[in-house]
Amino acid sequence: MERKNVSSIDYLLLIPGVGFILLFIGSSIFITITQSFGVLSVTGKSQFTIENWKAIFHDKESLDSILFSLKIGLLSSVGTLLFAFPVALFLRKGGSGKRFLASLIKIPLFIPALVAAFLIINLISYHGIVNEALLALGIIKKPLRMLNDKFGWGVVAIQVWKNLPFVLLILSSSLASIRDDTIDAARNLGAGTFSVLFRIYVPLAMPGILVSMILMFIKAFGDFAIMSVAGPTYPPSIALRMRNTATLFQEWDKAAVLGVIIILTTLFITWLYSRLAEFVTGRK
Amino acid sequence: MAATKQKNLWYVRQARRKRRFTTLLTVFFILVQVLWVGVPIFMTVLWSLVDPNHPWSFPNILPEKLSWGQWMYVFKYTNILRALKTSYTLAPCAVLLSFLFSLPTAYVLGRKQIPGKKFFQTIVLLPIIMPGMVVALFLSRVFNAFGLAQNFFGLVLAHTLMGLPYMIRVLTTSFEAIPQDVIDAAENLGANTFVKIKDIFLPMVRPGLLAGMIFAFTTSIEEFNLTFIIGTPTFETIPTILYSFLGYNFIRTNASVVALIMMIPNIIMLFAVENFLKSDYLSASLGKL
Amino acid sequence: MSRLILKDLVKKFDNVAAVNHVSLEVEEGEFVTLLGPSGCGKTTTLRTIAGFYQPDEGEIYFNDRLMNNIPPAKRNTSMCFQSYALFPHMNVWDNIAFGLKMRKISQPEQKKRVAQALEMMSLSGMEKRMPGQLSGGQQQRVALARAIVTQPDILLFDEPLSNLDAKLRVQVRVEIKEMQKRLGITSIYVTHDQDEALAISDRIVVMNQGQIEQVGDPQSIYLHPMTSFVAGFIGLANILSGQVVARKENQVQLELPFGRFWAFAGGLRASVGDTVRFSFRPENVVQYREGSPNKVSATIQHAIFMGDTIDLFLDAKGTRLRARAESAAKLKPGDIAVFSIDETAFQFLE
Repeated sequence: MERKNVSSIDYLLLIPGVGFILLFIGSSIFITITQSFGVLSVTGKSQFTIENWKAIFHDKESLDSILFSLKIGLLSSVGTLLFAFPVALFLRKGGSGKRFLASLIKIPLFIPALVAAFLIINLISYHGIVNEALLALGIIKKPLRMLNDKFGWGVVAIQVWKNLPFVLLILSSSLASIRDDTIDAARNLGAGTFSVLFRIYVPLAMPGILVSMILMFIKAFGDFAIMSVAGPTYPPSIALRMRNTATLFQEWDKAAVLGVIIILTTLFITWLYSRLAEFVTGRK
Repeated sequence: MAATKQKNLWYVRQARRKRRFTTLLTVFFILVQVLWVGVPIFMTVLWSLVDPNHPWSFPNILPEKLSWGQWMYVFKYTNILRALKTSYTLAPCAVLLSFLFSLPTAYVLGRKQIPGKKFFQTIVLLPIIMPGMVVALFLSRVFNAFGLAQNFFGLVLAHTLMGLPYMIRVLTTSFEAIPQDVIDAAENLGANTFVKIKDIFLPMVRPGLLAGMIFAFTTSIEEFNLTFIIGTPTFETIPTILYSFLGYNFIRTNASVVALIMMIPNIIMLFAVENFLKSDYLSASLGKL
Repeated sequence: MSRLILKDLVKKFDNVAAVNHVSLEVEEGEFVTLLGPSGCGKTTTLRTIAGFYQPDEGEIYFNDRLMNNIPPAKRNTSMCFQSYALFPHMNVWDNIAFGLKMRKISQPEQKKRVAQALEMMSLSGMEKRMPGQLSGGQQQRVALARAIVTQPDILLFDEPLSNLDAKLRVQVRVEIKEMQKRLGITSIYVTHDQDEALAISDRIVVMNQGQIEQVGDPQSIYLHPMTSFVAGFIGLANILSGQVVARKENQVQLELPFGRFWAFAGGLRASVGDTVRFSFRPENVVQYREGSPNKVSATIQHAIFMGDTIDLFLDAKGTRLRARAESAAKLKPGDIAVFSIDETAFQFLE
C-alpha cells in the first residue's frame, strides 16, 4: 500500500474499469426495473403501473419457473460442494500423483458451458452410454429418462460436472490457508479424524465454502443455455421464461418483472449467505 | 525380546500398509477422474467421426464406420467458418480493450488506500454475479437505443464487459503483491515515475496480466447470453452455432464437431499455461466477495 | 506423568536419516531439553514422540507402554508449537477447552479446569477474545493453558519462545519452568538457543546430525563438554589440538605452537607422544599475574567492550585465541599482552 494522500486522480483512474461496468450493468438493471413498472417501456407509452407484477404473481407458469430455478440452484450448489470438498481435502497435501490429478480435474473449467452440456447430454440421453451400461449390468430394466427429465437431474448433472473445478479451486485455496500446525495441535489434543474434519477443516474453510455456494447458486439459478437444452419442457427455467416472454411473446414489461425477480433473488441469496458466513465464523 | 521384535515388525508393516492405502486412493481418484472427464470427451470424438452414410444407432456399441465426413459437412454447409472468424476476431479485441480499461483501475485498487475500496471491488464483480440473461436482455434495449445492437463494435463492448471482472481482479491481486519495499528501493535509487512503471510495475504484474488475458479470452470465446441476444442473427459465434444445433434441430453428429472445434483450443490453452497458473490466480482473485 | 524411553530411534525422510539411532531415558517429572542447530533432528524427535511421525526403527515407551503405533490423539501428550497453533476460529475459552471436549470430560469439570488454567496463566477476563485479538505473549499463555489443562503425561515444547521478543522470552521461560515444577509433568523442550536450554533444563541433550552428542545437566554440559561440537555450540571455546609431551601424576604437558602448557588430565588416557584435542573457555584466558600458570604472550587484534567484560581476539604466534579481560583493563588493538590459562580449564574432547 502506498501512503495515503488520496487524490481525485485516483478516482479518475477508476473510471475506465469501474465506470464502464457501472454504466453497462447499471443501465441494464435500471431499464429492467423501470420497465417492470411500465416506465420507459418499449411499447412506446410510458406510464407507471403495477399490473405487470400482479399478472406475474397470478401466473402459475411463472411461479413454477421460479420454484424450479430455485430448486436447481440449490441442488447444483450443494451437489458441487459435496463432490468438491472431499477432493479438495484429499488434494490439500501434495504428492506425486496428486499434481497430475489436480490438472486433470481442472479440464472442465476450460470447457465452455454449452459444450459441457452437450458432452453430458451425450452420456445421459435415452440411449446414451450411462443407460446402456446400467442396462448391460442389469441394474435397470428400461432406460432411465435423465435428459429433459421433469425433475431436472440432467441440468444438475451438467452444472456439477462443469463447475466442480471452479468450486474446487476456491475450496483448495481456503483449505491451503489452514496451517499444518493447527491440524497437528488438534490431533495432539485428542481430536480424531471426524473431529478434525468438523471442528477444524470445515469451520476454517467456511468462508470459501460459502463463497463457492453463492457463486454456484447464482450461476445455476439464472442460467439460460443449459436449462434450455437439457431442462424439462415444463416448467422452463425463469431465465428461459423471461427470454421467451420478451422475444417470442413481445411482452417486455412482464419479462422485466421476471428479470427483477431474478436480480432480487440473487441479491437476497448473496445477503443470506454472507449473514450465514458472519454467523459461522463468529465475526461481528 | 523375540516377542518385542515380532511386534515391532508388525508396526512397520502397519505403517507401510497405510502408505500403500494413500497411493491406492490417489490411483483410484485419478481413474475416476479419467472416466469423469475422458468418457464424455471420447464419446463426443466418436460421434463427430461417425460416417454420414452409416449412422450409429441403438443397439450398436461402436459406430460401424468412421470418417471425416461430418467434419467436411459442417465446414461446407454451415456457418461455422464465419462464426470461427467472428469469435476469433472478437476475442482479441475484447481482451485488448479490457486490458486497457482495467490497468489504471487495477493499479488504484491494488496500491492505493482509498475510501470505498471494498465497494469498488464488489462492483467489479457485477458482470459475473448478475444473471447473464437479465443483463443481456435489457442491455439490448439500451444498445438498441444507441444503435449498438447487431453491431460488431457493440459486441466488442459486451464481451469487454464480461472480461473486465477477471482482468481487474487478477491485476489487482498482482499489484497488491508487489512489496512496497521494492518500490521504495527503486525510488531510493533514483527511479522516476516512468522508470517505476517500466521496470517495476509492468514486469512484476506480467504473470497476472497473462492469466487475466487468458481468462478474458476464454470468457469471450464462451460468451453466449449477450452474443445470442445482441449479435444474432447478424453475428454468429461458435457458442450460438452450437446452441442452434442443440436446440430444435438437434443433430448430434454436427453438434459433436462444433463442440470439439470450440473445446480443443481451450484445452490446449489450459495445458500451455498450466505453468503460469501455479498460484491459482482465479481463486486468489475470486476467493472473496 | 510418565517416564519416557526412546530406544534406538530412527526416522528417515527420503532415505536420509533425520534421527539416527537416538536412545534416551527421561525420568518422571524431569525437564529435558533437546538442543542443537537447525536440522539436527531435535524437532523430528519431538514430533515422533508426539506421534506425528512414525519411527522407521526403534521403540518409544511411555512407562512400559510401547507407543510406536498409537495415533497422536491417543497419546495424551500436549504440545506447545512455535506458531502457538491456536485455533483461529475459536475464542480463548474454546481453545483451552478443546482437549477436554475431545476427552469427553463433563461440562462442570471442563468449566472448573479451564477457569483454573486461565487463572494460572493470568488470562482471566480474556475468555471471549479471539486469538487474533491477543498479543504474542498472551497467545503464548493461551497455548500453554491449552496444553496443561488436559493433564498430559508428557509436555512437548517446540521452540515455543522463538516468536517473542528478547525480554518477554526470559520472563516466559522462568514461568514455564515454575509451572512445570509445580505440576511435575515430564517435559521435553526443543530449542536452538543455548541460553534458554541452560536456564530451563534439568538435563540437556545436545544433538547434531541426527545423533546425540552429549547428555548431562546444564553445568556439566557447559563445564565439561565431551566433543568439539558441544564445546563449540554451547558458549564460546578455543578448540585446539596438540601433542602430549610429558605426564606427571594427574597432569599432562601439551605442546602448542605458542608454548608448552600444563593441564589437569582428568580422565585422559593419552600417553606421551599422542595428539589430543581439547578446549578451554575465553573466560579462562585471563591477564597474567605473578604466580599464574601457563603464560602466553599474544598480540591483541580486536578488543570489544561488552560492559561487564572486554572480549579479546588474540593472535598467539599465528594461533587465534579468544580471551576475556576485566572491563577496567586498558587494552587496545596492536598491544602485546601476557595472559595465563588455568590448568583446570582444559577439557579433553573425543
